[in-house]
Amino acid sequence: MSTASPGIVRLTDVVKDYPLGKVTVHALQRVNLTIEKGEFTVIAGPSGSGKTTLLNLIGCIDVATAGEVTVDGKSTGKLTDKQLTALRLNSIGFIFQSFNLINVLDIKQNVEFPLLLQGGMTKAQRAARVDDVVDKVGLRQFASQRPNELSGGQRQRVAIARALVTRPAIVLADEPTANLDSVTGTQIIDLMRDINHADKTTFIFSTHDDKVMKRADRIVRILDGMLEAAGLSEARASGVIENGGGVHA
Amino acid sequence: MSAALGVLLRMALRNLVVHRVKSGVVGAIMFFGVFLVVSGTAMLDSIRASMEKSITSSLSGNIQVYSSEAEDELALFGSMAMGASDIGEIDAFAPLRELLLGIDGIKAVVPMGIATATVFGGTEIDRVLNDLRVSTQAADAEGTKMRFEQLGQIVGRMRKDVALAATASSDPEKVEDNLASLDRVLAPGFYDELVADPSGTLDWLDNKVAPVAADGRMLYLRNIGTNLDTFPKSFDRFRLVEGEMVPEGQRGILLSKAFYEKQAKNYVARELDKVKKQLDQGKTIAEDKTLSELVARTATQYQRIAFQLSPVDATVVTEKLRAKLGTDGDLATLLQSFLTMDDTNFADRYAWFYAEIAPKIRLYELPVGEEITLRSFTKSGYIRAVNVKVYGSFEFSGLETSDLAGANNLVDMMTFRSLYGKMTDDQLGELAEIKAASGAKAVTRDSVEDDLFGGGGGSLETETTTTTGAGFDEFAGVKLGAAGSAGALDTTRYTTAQMEDGLALTAAVILDNPDDVPAMIETIEAAAAAKGLKVQAVDWQSSSGIVGQIVMVLQVVLYAAIFIIFLVALVIINNTMVMATMERTTEIGTMRAIGAQRPFVIVLFLVETMLLGAIAGGLGAAAGALFITWLNHVGVPAVADALVLLFAGPRLYPVFTASNLLFGMGSILAISALSTLYPSVLAARVPPVVAMQAKE
Ligand SMILES: Nc1ncnc2c1ncn2[C@@H]1O[C@H](COP(=O)(O)OP(=O)(O)O)[C@@H](O)[C@H]1O
Ligand SMILES: [Mg+2]
Repeated sequence: MSTASPGIVRLTDVVKDYPLGKVTVHALQRVNLTIEKGEFTVIAGPSGSGKTTLLNLIGCIDVATAGEVTVDGKSTGKLTDKQLTALRLNSIGFIFQSFNLINVLDIKQNVEFPLLLQGGMTKAQRAARVDDVVDKVGLRQFASQRPNELSGGQRQRVAIARALVTRPAIVLADEPTANLDSVTGTQIIDLMRDINHADKTTFIFSTHDDKVMKRADRIVRILDGMLEAAGLSEARASGVIENGGGVHA
Repeated sequence: MSAALGVLLRMALRNLVVHRVKSGVVGAIMFFGVFLVVSGTAMLDSIRASMEKSITSSLSGNIQVYSSEAEDELALFGSMAMGASDIGEIDAFAPLRELLLGIDGIKAVVPMGIATATVFGGTEIDRVLNDLRVSTQAADAEGTKMRFEQLGQIVGRMRKDVALAATASSDPEKVEDNLASLDRVLAPGFYDELVADPSGTLDWLDNKVAPVAADGRMLYLRNIGTNLDTFPKSFDRFRLVEGEMVPEGQRGILLSKAFYEKQAKNYVARELDKVKKQLDQGKTIAEDKTLSELVARTATQYQRIAFQLSPVDATVVTEKLRAKLGTDGDLATLLQSFLTMDDTNFADRYAWFYAEIAPKIRLYELPVGEEITLRSFTKSGYIRAVNVKVYGSFEFSGLETSDLAGANNLVDMMTFRSLYGKMTDDQLGELAEIKAASGAKAVTRDSVEDDLFGGGGGSLETETTTTTGAGFDEFAGVKLGAAGSAGALDTTRYTTAQMEDGLALTAAVILDNPDDVPAMIETIEAAAAAKGLKVQAVDWQSSSGIVGQIVMVLQVVLYAAIFIIFLVALVIINNTMVMATMERTTEIGTMRAIGAQRPFVIVLFLVETMLLGAIAGGLGAAAGALFITWLNHVGVPAVADALVLLFAGPRLYPVFTASNLLFGMGSILAISALSTLYPSVLAARVPPVVAMQAKE
């Protein structure tokens, strides 16, 4: 570890290549990034710039071609699928662009799902936890409805509740507003931000929308798989930003 | 983990509901599969149980004991390989009987032997020749003339038949020979020949003309030799139909009722019975081609009635037929038109036939009370003939219409030994005496034996085929020494010891408790081995031969059907689940992304199919149980005669057991798991990144 602060997420010289037929797509090129606990960070960049790829690596659902990714103190490169899955379950919450709720389960059951995977809690403990997060996202009266009975914004709130229910160290959201109108999208970001302020949960989300990215504390800009020296949003400027190596092919 | 299982079940159930069509199709196959397994195995078990009842209580007893040196397997009801089966011998029955009766739990021991024999059933020409002999001896010119006319008619028909069959014959020389003999009878001067030398001419007719009769009724008898005094006590299905039991200690034969009906009955009557039976089953002469052909064929056989009527009866029947049919014509024309029946008049004419014609003809060959000559091809290579009296006819109750149950006739042990050809010194001496004292009952036909054994054995069902001498060569090396002479009827009263103690082939063992069979088999074999007796013990299924194999065949057919339907289920479930996996990659990827391990995904899919299997299979099992219960209520009719033995009666009342249900459920759950193995592993391989790629 070269720098003083270990960070909750730390990427060192990370490269991600996708083999695509005979050519190789360099989706991430020598990315260095550290995110501290409690930050509310946006990964901003146009479509195809590598946002999803970056979040996949941080979220331990994909592995880097080269470099090191450390999440919640664990270097992910040498972990087995089983260990990576456990890390995702216990340390990371996911919010997807398309909400990705389980349609056959109602709202409460969707939110409870990660707790069931974790095991070790009583039914009452789980219920309390679920009620708490469902309240937090303002969906108490919809608790027994199915996802397809809800609006997009409501569904994304369910996804937020599900991501928060295990009290993860990091919540990742890949373009959480992309499938929502701008008003609803703003509400969702504000909700995430409120939770971040209240609970100090680390949020990392991506967007290509300028209006949305302005609401983040820290903006990490990405273009063609490389991080740019980024400006800080007006609210806070405590983030340590390390520019990507930017070695050109 | 139980909470996780709860959510798995909930998800599985809801997925089943969401994918209704898929669940419906797969569920229907599962339902049908389990229905088939439950009802099929219940039927099979019930058939096995009822067959066991039929067979053990009619012929085999609970256990059959026979020589361990047997080359072939015991087949009490006949085997596929007819004739030459070697089941070894029990040289002395007494020690084995004593040993068996000494074992606790054995109620009775009955000696048995199997010997096949043939008996000559006689033809119209035989009877005419007999009558001619009587009238020539009595110098009854009128009678002789009339009988001679009858003979002319019969020979005329025979000539036509032989000429017709000539082209197909493999032995043209013999055909030429036969035609020459028949032509001699039909020639103008033959009547004078007969009058000039009645005895010589009749002998010539006996030897040269009578054997040509295509109708020469060589009947095939399968005989079980046993102690006729104890047999009915040990086999409670035995029922005497006609006549009396063979008197204690005496020789005699009891013919099965089925043998009378299926083989010894007058051809026309037998064919009419067949027609009646099919009509009773709902067929019609107008619509069923085979049936209408049967009726037409029967009508062409009118001579089999005409030639049997005495001249007086012929006149009476002619008058009655004229009145009945309202037409003129001679007996032949009238009979032919009478036998040309249709759906509207069959019932009436059938009844009329039995009321007016049947009493005037010889309805059955080998009638009760008559003495018959059994011939067999003994172990030692001789053809032996034994005269024995038919004391009665019998059947096994509940199995009356079963051809297989009726395939065996019962003879005393002495007669069995004579037919089988192995005798004690005493018996050999005795036989020599008898032979010396008699000679009267000589059988005239040399060719009998050719017909007898030349035709290649024949099956149980054969309409005793009288061949035209084919297979003559097979007899080339056979010692025909004592072939023809049957000797006088043996009326000696034998003691039980004499009857039982000599040679037997098997011992039928009746147990106090029929459920003990497997344990008892071991006990018997151990006890016999300790005494140095070389015997083996088998249960009814292996001792009954062809019949026991029926259960095996049924089992194979059922299991093949089950296998096929489950194979189809396997393929369809596999395919549907693979498709489901494709459709649900986002959901699977999402679950994997938010922390579900691979086994969770596998179990999710397994639970889904197994839940469907449990529900659809449960319904199928319930339906199967309900179906069997209904069948038990109404009874399954034995639509074919062959089923009567299987059903132990005219109807089967099947029952189901817990093991039928368990087997059904067990197999569908196993199939569910097996068929989902590949799709679920495929699902578990869905990478979590797909969750990120999902598009709304
Ligand atoms: N599975 C893949 N195979 C090949 N190329 C990919 C794959 N995923 C992403 N890419 C490529 O990598 C680059 C970055 O993509 P992505 O991370 O999805 O960008 P963003 O999320 O910013 O739109 C793009 O050029 C994209 O085409
Ligand atoms: Mg993207």
